[in-house]
Formats: sequence, C-alpha cells, structure tokens
Amino acid sequence: MVVGQAAVPRDIGILEWLFDSQSWTGANGIVASLTDTVILCTIVMAVAIVTMVPLAAWLAHTRRGEVSVSWMVTLSRAIPTFAVAGLLVPISLRNGWGFEPWPIFIALLLLALPPIFLNTYTAIKQVDPGAVDAARAMGYSPANVLFRVELALAASVILAGVRVAAVTVVATEPIRAFLGGDGLGRYVRDGLGQNNDSLVIAGAALVAGLAGLTALSFRTIERVALPEGVRRVARTATRQE
Amino acid sequence: MILAQASNPLVRWEYFIDEWDQIQRALIEHMELTVYAVLLGFVVSAGLAAIALRFRWMLAPINGFTAFLYTIPSVALFGLLVPYFGLSRTTAVLPLAAYTLLILVTNIVAGFNSVSPEVREAAAGMGMTPFRRLTQVELPLALPYIIAGLRLAVVSTVGLVTVAAIIGQGGLGRLILDGLRRTFWTPMTIGASLSILLAVLLDGLILLAGRWATPWAERQRGSP
Repeated sequence: MVVGQAAVPRDIGILEWLFDSQSWTGANGIVASLTDTVILCTIVMAVAIVTMVPLAAWLAHTRRGEVSVSWMVTLSRAIPTFAVAGLLVPISLRNGWGFEPWPIFIALLLLALPPIFLNTYTAIKQVDPGAVDAARAMGYSPANVLFRVELALAASVILAGVRVAAVTVVATEPIRAFLGGDGLGRYVRDGLGQNNDSLVIAGAALVAGLAGLTALSFRTIERVALPEGVRRVARTATRQE
Repeated sequence: MILAQASNPLVRWEYFIDEWDQIQRALIEHMELTVYAVLLGFVVSAGLAAIALRFRWMLAPINGFTAFLYTIPSVALFGLLVPYFGLSRTTAVLPLAAYTLLILVTNIVAGFNSVSPEVREAAAGMGMTPFRRLTQVELPLALPYIIAGLRLAVVSTVGLVTVAAIIGQGGLGRLILDGLRRTFWTPMTIGASLSILLAVLLDGLILLAGRWATPWAERQRGSP
C-alpha cells in the first residue's frame, strides 16, 4: 500500500533534514509531495468555488433556500473528514477507482463547500437594498444587478469564505497520507512509522507552514484584489457587528 | 493484493460478534478521549472567557490566539507533541482540547454579552451580591449559548478523535486504520459509521439536557 518511504537516518537533525537538498528532490522529495498536495487542494477549491458561488448567489438573489443555510451550518461543523474518507476508501476500491483521489477529494470537498456557500449567501442577502433599487431604477438588467452590484458589494465577504475554506482544506489534506495516499503529510507518517522524531517535527512544520502560507496569501489577495471603497465598506460592516 | 481483496464485502456481520471486545474498547476509548478533551477545553475556555469579559481589550488577542490554534493542521499538532509526550493519551487530548477553544470561548462570551444591562441592574437593585448575580442571573441566561457551543465542540471533537489514530490513540479511528492496513473493509466501515453515529447521539443528548436545564429558553432558541 505504502509505495515508497523516505529513507532517512534516525539520528538526523530537524534542520539537517530540511536543508539537505536530497530531502527536496526525487519522487519522495518535498517538492513532489508539495506539488501533490497543492494540486489536490487547488482542484477541490476550484470545484467548490465554481459550484457554490453561483448556487448561493442565485439562491440569495431570488431569496430562496433559507433552509439550506442551517443545513450548511451543521455540515460545516459536524463532518468527520477522517471517517468520511475512511468510509469512502473501501467503496472506491470495490468499484475499482483506487485508493486515490476520490475518497479524499470528496471528503475535502465536503469541508470546502459550507464556508463558501454561507459567506456568498449571507453577503448577497445583506447587500443594501437601496443600492439594488438604485441600480434597477437606472435601468440595470437583472443579470447586471447581480453581477455589477450584488456580487461586487459582496466580494470581500465571499473572498473571506474562500480563504477559510482554503485554509481548512490545506490543513486537513495531510490525513490523506494515512489513508493510502501521499502528499505533504507523508513525512509525519513516515516519521511516526520509523520512530524518527526529527522527521515527524520537520513534517509537521512543513504541513503547518503550508497552512499558514495559504492563509497569508489569501489575505494578500483580498488586500490587493478589492478596491479601497469596498474594503472600507467591509471594515465598517465588521465593526458594527 | 488489492485486486484480490477488493471484492471483500463492506461489512461482514460476524465481525460484530467475533470482535465485539475490540469494538467496545474502541468505542469507550473514543468517548473517553472526547470527554477529556471537551472538559479540558471547557475549563480553559471558561478561564479565557472570564478574562475577556473582565478586561475588554483582551477579547481580540484571545480570539486571535484561539483562531490561530484552530487553523493548525491536526496531523501537524499531533505530530509536534509526539517527541514530548510519546504516543500517549496526553498527545491526543491536548490538540483536541486546543481545537475546542475557538468555539467555546466565542459562545461563552456571546452568552454573557447577551444578558441585557437592565437585567443586571435589576439584580443589583434587588441587593444581590456580585457572586449571586453571576450564578443565579447571568449564568442561567448565558446557558443556551454555552450549550450551543458545547454541542458544536463535542460533535467536532468526536470527528477529530479518529485522526488521533495516527498516533496510536483515536478509539474508533484505530479500527479505520486497522482495516486499511489489512485491506479488510469491515473494521473501516464499522469504525467510520460508529463515529458518525456517536456524534449524532451525543449531539442529541446535549440538546435534550440543554432543553431540560433551560426550559424558559424554548422561545428564543436559535442562539448562534
């Protein structure tokens, strides 16, 4: 099941391993594992955004689906990702789909959907009705009202939801290494399996580092992508809460 | 090997009888880990919430700290503690407790903030001591929020306990890993399903206990 393990001497230091170029290259190297993780997380996030933002925007625009909100809130807290993936692995293998990537993909997707859906839905619902009415009076078509007024004003809250989802997905993806896959979590797994504390700590640091980096880059995107006016509106909105 | 095993059924029902001891042990361990983690988390959260309520300027740093803890990947946090506490129960409980802080502190603070100033003044005007005001007026009014927080904390902890299987703890999570190692699906299916059932069951139990403890809150239920 475990394809290859990183062969690391037991008495190696944490930094010694991290700064050894051999740790980074090759099929078991950090670069390859990192790429694995980033690709999976990117696909999960892309699917979640492409499905949830339009769905939630449409539901909120037409003032429908109030019930879906409470479902999503429950889902967001209650989904036991490890158990879901563990339940899906046998199903996937029995159908000949292999250990990866379906079980972990679906488990992570379930984790990514709620924050994006909820933030999009509430953000669009809370758009100032005055702004929507003004746009209508100016002759905006319904599509233009949605895209150029509602979505534009909701952008900062939607992006915040995307950030929360991305950080959760990146932080949870390492369990994949314990469910028959690889990815960045593999060094913690290999370290635990080989009773090598240095490898465990270095692997944990890599995993935590990537999660931190994800949060940081999405905050930067929010800062750069949004026009100053929208950010100011968002700031006053959070202050009033 | 995988192809040969792939046809074994998702559940062999005789496993329940043959391996009942093991299932029972995993179930009990799962509940123990959940209870220890949530209890520890609750005690720490109560302290943090008390500080945040007493000194308002501490609220933002405390929130920031608990939110930071919440974003640390579970695999990383379990892994980081292994060199210090070994593959022990402590290594499992500390991260699990750390993850409950965000939800619990938020809800405890929100609960006490929901008590209206008029109620506080009325209680003070009736000559209640600060301690009696806290225990007989503010705490009962904050209780629905605290219980809502406890429910979320317990449900998410039951789910996270399974991850502790990677450090040899983890209750039902160990069945999942065990099944995976042997490509034997029955323990995986049982471990995963039972952990989901356990979450639903405990959630319902706390909900009922909460209804029983705060019968007056029936109307304004729907707290965060």
